[in-house]
Amino acid sequence: MFVISLAGIRVGIDNRYPYIEQQCRAFRCDGEAEFTVSVSGDEILEEQKFGAFSEGYCESICIYRHICEQMPAYGVFLMHASVLEVKGYAYAFSAPSGTGKSTHTALWLKNIDGARVLNGDKPLLRVEEDGSVTAFGTPWNGKENWGENISAPLRAVCFLERAKENRIRRADESEAIVRLAQQLYLRGNRACVNLQLALMDRFVRTVPFYVLGCNITDGAARLSYETMSAQI
Amino acid sequence: MKINQDFTIQKVGGSYVAVAVGETSKSFHGMIRLNETGAFLWKKMAERDVTEEELVDALLEEYEIDRETATEDVHKMVEALRAYPIFL
Repeated sequence: MFVISLAGIRVGIDNRYPYIEQQCRAFRCDGEAEFTVSVSGDEILEEQKFGAFSEGYCESICIYRHICEQMPAYGVFLMHASVLEVKGYAYAFSAPSGTGKSTHTALWLKNIDGARVLNGDKPLLRVEEDGSVTAFGTPWNGKENWGENISAPLRAVCFLERAKENRIRRADESEAIVRLAQQLYLRGNRACVNLQLALMDRFVRTVPFYVLGCNITDGAARLSYETMSAQI
Repeated sequence: MKINQDFTIQKVGGSYVAVAVGETSKSFHGMIRLNETGAFLWKKMAERDVTEEELVDALLEEYEIDRETATEDVHKMVEALRAYPIFL
């Protein structure tokens, strides 16, 4: 049992396997947990059916799922995305798996001065009192293991699509909702889902959304950074 | 028709979205988007088991439209919703 700080919330983890302790070491904190999660042996077995992964890895996945079901009560939710931080602002990229989030993230690291990955796969987003959104790194950061224990105000969200030529456009609220819903973890009990939908409502009203059609050239990163960072 | 209680409907941005919760959310991961009228009808079908005719009457009470349009709207919506696992 140990405590980590996630998106400003102290979360207790009652683990069976050591894997998750190692994974969470940069997020450890002292103090009493707001809530504590644990996973049953059956759940771990169930998770293993999706592939030949170790018990420790599967436990970690299940634990994060449980954490994400509690988080909406604190104004925090999970978005499947790669988030980069540049000059104090966070920028999120989202797309169905295999579209090229990692490739585009690598293009930012190469082309944008001072860019670093906040979380490459499963960041947490917190909706603040004024409706603005803050992105937080988490120990769950994808196969590239890109991420840090940092946070930054989220300036924009960009949905990626593959294209021959690089082009970017704003997505209106209606399109943002459809695309966003595919990248949230809208499961669990009614209270959790309702809270998440309420957060999503505030999210789509305050944060600008873009759609980037991109290839894998340096120009793709420059276009997305210049467009998203230029807004007021 | 009566809507499966394992669904929730909320306003997000300018429209309404319905998603599965609980057990149904394990098998149905989609999101159904509805406009104001759609959400109104949805709520009627969530309250109790209603017929298309009752929905038409409810629509006529709430909105200033003619019976023919209301009948058509209700039928279209019910048919469209049959694509999802929402009716009991």
